Amino acid sequence: MQAITDAIFPIPAQTFVGIITVLVMIHAILLTIPILIYFERKISAYIQDRIGPNRVGFDFGLPFLQKLFSFGGKRPFGFWGLGQSAADGLKFLLKEDVTPRGADKWLFSIAPMAAVVPAFIGWAVIPWGGTLTITNPINLFGLDLVAPGNATVAVADINIGFIYLLAIASLGIYGVTLGGWSSNSKFSFLGGMRASANMISYEIPLGLALLATLLLAGSFRASDIITMQASAGWFVLAQPLACIIFFVCVLAECNRAPFDNAEAEQELVGGFHTEYSAMRFALFFLAEYAHMITASAFLILVFFGGYHLPFVPLTAPEATGLLAALVKTFVFFNKVILVVVVMMVIRWTLPRIRYDQVLRLCWQALIPITISLVVLTAIWMKLGWTAWPQTLAMNILALIVITAIAPALFNSTANNRKVPLAGSRFSPLKGYEGTTTPTDPVHLDDDNPQAARA
Amino acid sequence: MTESALILGAMDLQDYLPIGILLLMAITFAVANVVLSLLIGPRRGGSVKSDAYESGMVPIGTARKRFNVRFYLIAMTFLVFDVEVVFLYPWAVTYANIDPASDEAWMFLGRVLFFMATTVIAYVYGYRKGVFKFD
Repeated sequence: MQAITDAIFPIPAQTFVGIITVLVMIHAILLTIPILIYFERKISAYIQDRIGPNRVGFDFGLPFLQKLFSFGGKRPFGFWGLGQSAADGLKFLLKEDVTPRGADKWLFSIAPMAAVVPAFIGWAVIPWGGTLTITNPINLFGLDLVAPGNATVAVADINIGFIYLLAIASLGIYGVTLGGWSSNSKFSFLGGMRASANMISYEIPLGLALLATLLLAGSFRASDIITMQASAGWFVLAQPLACIIFFVCVLAECNRAPFDNAEAEQELVGGFHTEYSAMRFALFFLAEYAHMITASAFLILVFFGGYHLPFVPLTAPEATGLLAALVKTFVFFNKVILVVVVMMVIRWTLPRIRYDQVLRLCWQALIPITISLVVLTAIWMKLGWTAWPQTLAMNILALIVITAIAPALFNSTANNRKVPLAGSRFSPLKGYEGTTTPTDPVHLDDDNPQAARA
Repeated sequence: MTESALILGAMDLQDYLPIGILLLMAITFAVANVVLSLLIGPRRGGSVKSDAYESGMVPIGTARKRFNVRFYLIAMTFLVFDVEVVFLYPWAVTYANIDPASDEAWMFLGRVLFFMATTVIAYVYGYRKGVFKFD
């Protein structure tokens, strides 16, 4: 017994802080998601000149709780609809979980889990609160439980942090693709195909934009990159082009508008989750929001200094007290929420981009730009120009050169073809009294074009 | 710049323990929710109800049909570029940690420029073949 406890204890400070961070942050994120969903509904309501959820308070519509919240009046107080998301969650749990006929039962159940698990473990390397110093060994029953030392307030401060983040982010594709394929519904299938093509395509510029920035940092450890930014300026100043591309890729990776072709309501009903109901649908929903939080934290970490705020000494990497760690976590989390809100405003403001244009943007614009950014950054580093005004000049130069030569390299004449559709305004049927000259009607039936033409 | 960034092989397994805990919690959360909703929720089947949704019509055939070959082409080209990015990551960290004035830096830069040039050739080939046309 003595030998076993001696072998385990004292555990390193990093492991101890990591376990505490897991327990705190998983609940923080799980509780933030309903609030974010409420935010999203409220923001969309304000943008569309509606009111949004404003009735369901913390009684959640349950009869036995209504008395608790009805202050004088007959109807319980609504708390501006803050209880809406929780009530929705409760309802998801109580509804019937339908599996469509012909669906692959196992994969159909595994898919939402495969979507939610990567979304919930991706943020493990995000250093929420900087360095925390444990000065005294935590002692219990005469046993040193935790060794004193420095620890990062992250689940794990590993030296391959960014590779871990990218790898876990890629795993999110499985849930969407499996969900789309296993449903045995055509809408789901097409949504799943689109989502997987979308997500794998945007992974490349995401990785390359990150690479251009990590070249300046020279480390995969997430806490190093914040220390670096605190001293050398946030990387949004050094690599603004990479930052914008990274944000665009994050939107596409999360399948958020304007890149949400995977679940385009007008075309695909619900996309890959058309056939899902009850809790399995809720898991996809949770995964989307958890993914947004992770991706925003990723963006904040790499480009916006993480927990660091300029001119605030408590958020400097040198501050290692418990108070500093709490303040840093607060700052980091608020920055993340800010980015998520920006993503929501974008969703409800911009129209959805057509699917071929989404992929064209990735393959014909973002990938060449990010490759040239990486090459230019490497050359700039060889020349020793690594301060942010120099790399900023490089970004501006790259932007000017790319906009100058891109039209010559890529011919984009066939951008918007007009597909003649029988009976439409542009190609009316023969005998139809239209204003344009009649053309040969062509149907969009791939299976049997001859039959459709006849 | 930490030394540990260069030595990717040297890992302390204790650092990964909290990730393991997080993974277990996430899996438990996912499985428990699905199982709970299956247990609590009602179950009322029906031949029409369990049909796949097809705009309210009776579904025609199965959904596992042939699909556009472009998705396959995207997957193929993705492999080319993703593998390239994976190779570039170790290079990036090593390159950032060597003295830019040294001859070694020239070698690192030249090699990666050659490597990038091969990728650009692949990209141009794909472009000329019309792989990046999605309409």
